Amino acid sequence: MSTQAGATVFIVDDDADVRLSIQRLLKTVGLRAELFATAQDFLRRNIPDGPSCLVLDVRLPEVGGLEVQHKLAAAGINIPIIFVTAHGDIPMSVKAMKSGAVEFLTKPFRDQDLLDAIQQALKRDQLARRQRSEIAELHERHKSLTAREREVMELMVSGMQTKQIATALGTSEVTAAVHRGNVMRKMHAGSPAELGSMVERLRPSSNR
Amino acid sequence: MADEDVQKTLEELSRDLQESKARLEEAQRIAHVGHYYWNLIANRVIWSEELYRIYGLSPQKGPIDMVMVREMIHPEDREFVFRTAEEALHSEARPDIEHRVVRPDGEVRTVHALGTVKRDASGRPYEMFGAVQDITDRKRAEQRLQQTQLYLREGQRLAHMGSWAFNDSGHYWAEELYQIFGLNPKNGAPTIEQYLALIHPQDRASVSETIQIMYQQHCGCDITKRIVRPDGQMRYVRCVANPVVERGVFKGFLGTAIDVTEQEILTQELRRERAYLTEAQSLAHLGSWACNLVTQKIFHSSDENARLYGFDPREGAIPFDRFYNTILTEDEAALRAKLENAIRAGADYDVEFRIQRTDGAIRFMRGIGHHNPSQEVGEYLGITIDITERKRAEEAREKLRQLEADLAHMNRVNMMGELAAALAHEIKQPITASVTNAGACLRFLEMECPDILEAREAASGTIGCATRAAEIIDRVRALFKKTAPQREPVNINELIREIALLLQNEIRRHSVAVHLGLAENLPEVMADRVQLQQVLMNLMLNAIEAMQGVSAHLEINSQQTDDGQLLIAVSDTGPGLPTGKADQIFDAFFTTKPQGTGMGLAISRSIVESHGGRLWASSNSGRGATFRFTLPYEESLRT
Repeated sequence: MSTQAGATVFIVDDDADVRLSIQRLLKTVGLRAELFATAQDFLRRNIPDGPSCLVLDVRLPEVGGLEVQHKLAAAGINIPIIFVTAHGDIPMSVKAMKSGAVEFLTKPFRDQDLLDAIQQALKRDQLARRQRSEIAELHERHKSLTAREREVMELMVSGMQTKQIATALGTSEVTAAVHRGNVMRKMHAGSPAELGSMVERLRPSSNR
Repeated sequence: MADEDVQKTLEELSRDLQESKARLEEAQRIAHVGHYYWNLIANRVIWSEELYRIYGLSPQKGPIDMVMVREMIHPEDREFVFRTAEEALHSEARPDIEHRVVRPDGEVRTVHALGTVKRDASGRPYEMFGAVQDITDRKRAEQRLQQTQLYLREGQRLAHMGSWAFNDSGHYWAEELYQIFGLNPKNGAPTIEQYLALIHPQDRASVSETIQIMYQQHCGCDITKRIVRPDGQMRYVRCVANPVVERGVFKGFLGTAIDVTEQEILTQELRRERAYLTEAQSLAHLGSWACNLVTQKIFHSSDENARLYGFDPREGAIPFDRFYNTILTEDEAALRAKLENAIRAGADYDVEFRIQRTDGAIRFMRGIGHHNPSQEVGEYLGITIDITERKRAEEAREKLRQLEADLAHMNRVNMMGELAAALAHEIKQPITASVTNAGACLRFLEMECPDILEAREAASGTIGCATRAAEIIDRVRALFKKTAPQREPVNINELIREIALLLQNEIRRHSVAVHLGLAENLPEVMADRVQLQQVLMNLMLNAIEAMQGVSAHLEINSQQTDDGQLLIAVSDTGPGLPTGKADQIFDAFFTTKPQGTGMGLAISRSIVESHGGRLWASSNSGRGATFRFTLPYEESLRT
């Protein structure tokens, strides 16, 4: 069983016995747990930037589990969620899974099922985290480009040769070649194809 | 001297003659009589002065000749007049005729002319002398009288009315009277005996008596009786008579008889129609009326209309106020508004309202009024119908519908459903914690280096959570015990009948014969009505559903026991209790039915027990099973 050192599992359940028993179960696999009795308590907590997942009860006082999921998504917080409920029905679980939940477990669940779900959630979190940091890195590189270099990059990605770029920008072919070299260097791109995929990955998040 | 005397005598004679002549003229003028000489030899005519006047001529006109006379006689009478004159000359007959003359101014006069013919010794006529009287005025009076009599006769004939008189001078019957009685006028008026013989045998005695009283007391009468004409036809005749008294002396009777057969038949028909109508109105609880709502004047109100409002129609006309005051105060304002609107618009109306009759009974009424625009404002013709029975039926239906809805609701809420879901949610929490703790416990022990301390804590967590689960169950049970049922006085027989009615469809579908053996005058029990309905429905439905096939008998009995309890028994002719499992049927989730929840009897028993009673079952000696339950009424009434 691969555990992730330093990972935190947030547990939100209004039943203290359930919270404590899950915490105890996680201890057997060396995972740290943070417990919350209400959704509000959890939402007030600043989630640290580290590997984590959320075990969330569906039926909670005032703010329910599905609403928490919705609020987190709206706030751009991508934490994998495992739902648990004593009162699950199919429409509810479908809705939760469609909104990106990792698992939907009905109480009482098998301890192994919960642990498997948590492992899966943490793996998903790790992957997402890596992707997010890569994109952040690309943004950094992109930021280091001058305005002219960004123009040149867009033209390169559209498939133009140096000569065509020079014509489009109204500069000499030599100047265009210098810009081209800067772009490749600054973006850490090994080939024009790699640059293309980088720009592609920048696009969905470029509006952020 | 003698001459003188003669002269004197002659003068006197002449004077006398002149005077006589003047007197004659005067007499003739007064009597409108003139005279004439007609010298047949010379064919010369001499007229007296009055005759000139009768013919519309001036006496100073000069001599008259026969040509002129002929001209003045009315053309239609001319030939007749001269023929008569001619005949008179050749026979002994004296002319005595009436004829008309036409005066020069065109006026026609009627004259009576008499004449006498003078003859010489040889019998030859030489002169005709005659008198002429103007009888125009008399003639006209005569004609008028004849006309009047004609009119009277015709009037009597048209009215089928004849007049009669009975007094000293005789017995007079008008012509029409003979017609009415079918008698021949030639035989004269009948005697009293003959008259009585004409009266219908059934009326004869009373008519005879009336005549006697009239003679004894000199009084009049007004009676309608039947007569039988000689040809056998029966007629109704109304007879009105008045005594004739002159200067205090009784002289006889004057009267009329009218043939009222047509009217009488019509009247009888009307009476019959009216009787039918009255009967129909009474059957339909429908009254008819006509009144002016503005002036509050009633023109017509049928007997039934009065009865509907609790009045006795024999009291006579009932004023508008008395009708209006029966309307319930709660309904009066709305009704008044509707009527006022209808009156203002000149429209018809159809209203429902309640009244309280003098006997205190509240009745539902429907009033329909029709307004004829050509009538006065507020004038309405309409009917009133007592719709109390219909209203009561509607209310009963509504009550039953409500009951069905209540039961449906009760079943939905009470049965498993939400309660079970809530309970399940509550109890799954400690169970989850318990299972998870146990899992953790095992994992701590299974480690390469078992963590006994943690395992121990996890194990005690398991115990704690399981204990909590048990506590929740106890708490829920306690909660159920605590909810006091809504207690009210309940008539158990009424409840049984209600449920039997409610289950009619099931009863029909399973072809079940139901027998209710309910003891009368059972005391009421303080109970939760809805819960008891649930018990009865459960037991009866179980019984009905258990009976498949022929001779399905459901019997429900209620009785009072010696120890202050009501005992209700529901017996069926089904397969009876499951062999060897009779003691399990009251356990929760035990069922013999594919779709059963297994909760019905368990809930029923718990309900009966919460009312301080018992519910048990036994197999019948023959077929089927009997479920009995008791409800203490004395105890429950005290609480």
